[in-house]
Amino acid sequence: MRSFLAFLKKEWMELLRTGRLLIFVLIFVLFGIMNPAIAKITPWLMETMADSLESSGLSVSAVTVDAMTSWTQFYKNIPMALVIFVLLWSGSFTQEYQKGTLIAVVTKGFARWKIVLAKTCMMLLSWTICYWLCFGITYSYNAYFWDNRIAQEPVFAAACYWVFGLWIIGFVVLFSTLASANIAVLLGTGGAMLAFYLLGFLPGPREFLPTKLMQSAELLTAYAKPEQYFGAMAAAAGMLVGCLAVAVLAFQKKKL
Amino acid sequence: MDMLTLRHVKKRFGEKQVLRDVTFSVPEHTIFGFVGQNGAGKTTTMKMILGLLEPEGGEIKVCGETVHYGTARTNRLIGYLPDVPEFYSYMTPSEYLRFCGEIAGMSGKEAKSRAKELLELVGLAEETRKIRGFSRGMKQRLGIAQALFHRPGLLICDEPTSALDPVGRKEILDILMAVKEETTVLFSTHILADVERICDEVAFLHRGEIVLRGTMEEVRKIHGDTGYEIETEYSADAERLRRYLRGRGTEDGRCRAKENEIETEYQKEAEQLQIYLKESGAESGRHKTTGSKAEGVSPGQKASPSEIISCPDKITAEEALAYILEHRIPLRRFEKREAALESLFMEVVGK
Repeated sequence: MRSFLAFLKKEWMELLRTGRLLIFVLIFVLFGIMNPAIAKITPWLMETMADSLESSGLSVSAVTVDAMTSWTQFYKNIPMALVIFVLLWSGSFTQEYQKGTLIAVVTKGFARWKIVLAKTCMMLLSWTICYWLCFGITYSYNAYFWDNRIAQEPVFAAACYWVFGLWIIGFVVLFSTLASANIAVLLGTGGAMLAFYLLGFLPGPREFLPTKLMQSAELLTAYAKPEQYFGAMAAAAGMLVGCLAVAVLAFQKKKL
Repeated sequence: MDMLTLRHVKKRFGEKQVLRDVTFSVPEHTIFGFVGQNGAGKTTTMKMILGLLEPEGGEIKVCGETVHYGTARTNRLIGYLPDVPEFYSYMTPSEYLRFCGEIAGMSGKEAKSRAKELLELVGLAEETRKIRGFSRGMKQRLGIAQALFHRPGLLICDEPTSALDPVGRKEILDILMAVKEETTVLFSTHILADVERICDEVAFLHRGEIVLRGTMEEVRKIHGDTGYEIETEYSADAERLRRYLRGRGTEDGRCRAKENEIETEYQKEAEQLQIYLKESGAESGRHKTTGSKAEGVSPGQKASPSEIISCPDKITAEEALAYILEHRIPLRRFEKREAALESLFMEVVGK
């Protein structure tokens, strides 16, 4: 346990001293502020653009915004934040392979599975903190400017997307142990994502695919019920565990 | 007791058979030189000892425990210094060493005091900068400190001096000499001067096999070019001595000059040159026959009458000296010749 915590501490130090943590926090805080900010300035934007829109034949009536406008922005922006998050974590293993820094760690008798686990913990933890920070900021502004009660199940809907992020992290870890370059990690993760997205067109497995969690915004408008997402959430959690198990096995024989 | 044993180890990368049959063992508390050309398979062998590469055949044991690829528990007994050690550049040397100790299972307090001790050993105790600003020599010294951190029974150093300047090389070799008491060192290199300086035993890897191994003394004896060099005051005495050696059936027909004024491969050529020099007015010719080129001689150049004779090992020093005393031959020098590892290496690799 002591050695595991030492490696975890090293990962934290890396996140802090390489400035990666600062980038994550800035991005997620920015997105958190941007969601209500965009909603807030939409009427003013429409007003300033009214003249030019009218000349092209479009009439602009009074635009009303509420917390739902801000939540809609949240679900439009969060995929972009997730992509940046994956980009910045895709080199976590591969940079160590390229530099050879893990050789000193492994040759001290440190178990390989602990490396996979410590890096995964740090990814999950940073995603959790950053994601809920972004959510918290949007939620607070929405509560300040408007009323969050207009949205049904805002926390559960957000939790669905959080689980979707955890599921993606499972693939980042898996492809990080299989591939040696971070472009391969990105392609692998993207490819897996695409495969599940295409699988979603089939009516059968659709309800149990983690990609369904991307549509959790529909929970806000009461078009969907939380129970409809339980299957996809369980599937995502199961696949995350599966990805990590395969990653640990693959990493045991990984050429460092 | 042997700290490390390799038996019939084989490794292939694609079509290339890198190691055919590597067998050797490293006794405890020795500095073992693992010598081979670039690309001979030294790093591959070391990575297999560390469980970082899978052997195709054979067996590797560290302290009697078999090494398994991937999950090498034997690594807790090994310290490893790669040829180009890499560190987490955002850490200070002290932080990095403490990290090394903690991942090896030491307590924070123990790791801190061991880090201090080792930083003093490698001369980095005063360094508070981040590792990213370190020179290659400093990184190499820090590499040794991290490799020794958990007090390993076996320290494996992969070409630790190859890219260093003479000062850096000396520092590393001095550290390796200093740690010999507490650990066994397996040291790969192609710098033979380093092997001659610090190693107790040596093994030569060539074409995937150990072609020669033993203690430094044994290896030097194997090489044919040992024996004595006798430098006479006068050329005529050298001729007498040479005839005596030839009569004993041992003289190899070669003679050496003290300086490189003439170098010839064969005695006959040397004699012809001597005649030529005499005819041209030179008092005597000096000749050296172990080289292969004639250089720097001009007709009429005055040469020293002294001459060096190569006396092979077959004649004992006592026999040669007895003859010299009996015939009252004035000498300038009588010296035991030792085979340079470099010439032995060239012989082994067939160059």
